[in-house]
Amino acid sequence: MRKFVDLHLCAPIDDPKRVERMVDLLAELGYRMVGIPLLPNVSQERMRQIEEICNRARVEFVTRVDLMPKTSNELLNNLGRLRRKFEIVSVACASKNVARQAAKDRRVDLLSPCLTFPCKRFFDYAEAELASKKLVAFEIDMAPILSSTGFPRIRLLSSLRKEVAVARKFDIPITISSGASDENFLRSPQDYVALATLFDLPVSCALQALSDYPLSIVERNKEKLSPCYAAPGVRVVRN
Amino acid sequence: MDAVWNAVLQLFGEYGASQTNLILMKHNLKPNYAIFRCSHKALDMVKASLASITQINGKPIALRVLGVSGTLKALQRQKPEIQI
Repeated sequence: MRKFVDLHLCAPIDDPKRVERMVDLLAELGYRMVGIPLLPNVSQERMRQIEEICNRARVEFVTRVDLMPKTSNELLNNLGRLRRKFEIVSVACASKNVARQAAKDRRVDLLSPCLTFPCKRFFDYAEAELASKKLVAFEIDMAPILSSTGFPRIRLLSSLRKEVAVARKFDIPITISSGASDENFLRSPQDYVALATLFDLPVSCALQALSDYPLSIVERNKEKLSPCYAAPGVRVVRN
Repeated sequence: MDAVWNAVLQLFGEYGASQTNLILMKHNLKPNYAIFRCSHKALDMVKASLASITQINGKPIALRVLGVSGTLKALQRQKPEIQI
């Protein structure tokens, strides 16, 4: 049985009741793992609180940080500081330099388009070729598709169609996340699969984008962040 | 039903909407559900349209597909809580 994962639930972490409602709804919709973006300076107590909420709903909690650097130097500094603190690191690319640097860096898990400037989308052939040599995945948030109408949605779907075609051409894993900050924008995995057909992502690929690819990213990072990890294929065994 | 048709029209236009053969078969308030019939070839289009609805008459709403079946009898077996 497939284990569905939502790696980008933008729940307001300052409001535990709202987080609980959203996580409960996710569990009801069939998700078994959720990634909630946290602030870089989040307290351990807050993380534990969110983890308890997820445990009560029987959903596994994955820590995530969303980086929006303006320059590639800022990206490198942030990665150095934050990589070992969070299980998922996502970079929203606001410029071409940042996009190239993020695609080249092994420490980045997910590339996502910049939502503040929708016209600035940099996932092209050059970036895809760089990303294909590393373990970076391309993330698609579904909430902007649901919240927009008319020409903004037409432009968004058109961009997504091109980006998905580029990602598939270079065998870059695609992950689909809700990106929802409100319960109204949460949908079941099957509904997201149906919505993914709007930008020509086949059903089988959409199912992988909701389960296999995000799971493999989380498992790989959990292993890397564990104290027993030394290098790929090497673990420290203590007596 | 207007909201569903508008969603189909917005996403797929009149040509796409003409392919769906969409009909509302039953609607109940308690429990809150509706049964639609559509062409099996347009199933993904209809599902995407239903998922894309975020408000009806200004009220925020989320529609979820509970199940898909070829016949009402099989649907009743799948979802016994729905009275057909």
